[in-house]
Amino acid sequence: MIVKEWCSYCGECAGVCPRNLILVRETELEFDTGECKECDFCIKACPVNALEKD
Amino acid sequence: MITTDILVIGAGPAGSIAAKHAALNGANVLLIDRKSEIGAPKRCAEGVSIEGLKKLGIETSPRWAVKDIEGIRLVAPNGTDVWLNDDTIELPEAGYILERKVFDKHMAMDAGRAGAQIKIKTLAKEIIKKEDHYVVICEHLGELIEIKANIIIAADGPESRIARLAGLKTGTKIKDMESGIQFEMCNVEMTNPNVLEFYFGSVAPGGYAWIFPKGEDIANVGLAVIPTDTDKTAYQHLLDFVANCPATQNAQAVELNVGGDPVGGVHKHISGDNILVVGDAAGQVNPLTGGGIISGMTCGKIAGEVAANAIKEENYSSKRLYEYDKLVDDELGEKMKKYSKTRDYLASLSDKELDSIAVAFQDVEFEEVSTTELIKKLVKVSPKALLKLGKLI
Repeated sequence: MIVKEWCSYCGECAGVCPRNLILVRETELEFDTGECKECDFCIKACPVNALEKD
Repeated sequence: MITTDILVIGAGPAGSIAAKHAALNGANVLLIDRKSEIGAPKRCAEGVSIEGLKKLGIETSPRWAVKDIEGIRLVAPNGTDVWLNDDTIELPEAGYILERKVFDKHMAMDAGRAGAQIKIKTLAKEIIKKEDHYVVICEHLGELIEIKANIIIAADGPESRIARLAGLKTGTKIKDMESGIQFEMCNVEMTNPNVLEFYFGSVAPGGYAWIFPKGEDIANVGLAVIPTDTDKTAYQHLLDFVANCPATQNAQAVELNVGGDPVGGVHKHISGDNILVVGDAAGQVNPLTGGGIISGMTCGKIAGEVAANAIKEENYSSKRLYEYDKLVDDELGEKMKKYSKTRDYLASLSDKELDSIAVAFQDVEFEEVSTTELIKKLVKVSPKALLKLGKLI
């Protein structure tokens, strides 16, 4: 997942991830991509369109 | 390894008050937060009720209660407005506008003064369940720390990662997660800088837009949408709102806040063996307004007390901690159902229906009118809207 510079690490993407695969740090998102089923809810939920698929 | 009776993960208002009351009731408490500054950045429109603060025994300070609110203005898509004040109707989030950056720190300091240890910039990464406790692996400035806790109070916000790692189903479906965004702005030309303004309809699909005053010309201007109800991002909706709303056309943003708000109601199970869940992580948010400060703090206080008593009894089983679920249900259950139905009703109305309802209710003196009369008015202006209401009830 590409995290754009304007991400504010609010954690909404992590909240809607059905598999709990996103760890939100203060200024970083960590994705467990190996388990991702590409539902894209994280991308859809982002208020500022800061996530993009690799 | 650090050992504690109770580890509270997340120093928002719900986590801090849980830590405070657990400490006041005799438990050893450690409160951790992943951020370097508690309360920043804010993820909130900052409205809070006076009654709620009073009930929690929190004395108001001008350091963080920055604006008194005396009423609300509801605005339909065509601009028709309905004014309400707290003498005529119960207003869940009206009372004060907070400065959350100060308030959250104040609450954490309260916890510290009650005896809780506080460790900032500490990220809970993993939890390992042992027979009668948890070991939590945390990261603090590049160093890994292990914390052994008999009870975890998970207060880690809408992502609710910790409770889910413990096997509780506290994730939020995308249809129940409001995507919120807000500017703090100056030069806002409010009709009355002492009321909260709510804007309904297609301006914010699935949610609403707001102007919450923080000063004579300063306000939080924001909105929340349900991401699956719109093709635009919350940010695009906000830009449209600011450009079109008469109050904000000359306004300038000095801060941008974003965040998710779980409005699907309290999760079914918010406790388990050695764990309690509080605040946004537990879905303790008003489904209608999205406000969660008072409800989260109320439940945080209950969690702190239940956890401390469980520590005294040396019983951290799910059966013992289930008392928390019951107390939360007594406190919030009925209210949440009522607000959830109202939210569904509002979301079902078209812009046209909202306009006609606002026109009908514009001059109603709510303290003098009965429910039957309100229904009669609704029949006149929009039978379809009444039918939708009937179906929901």
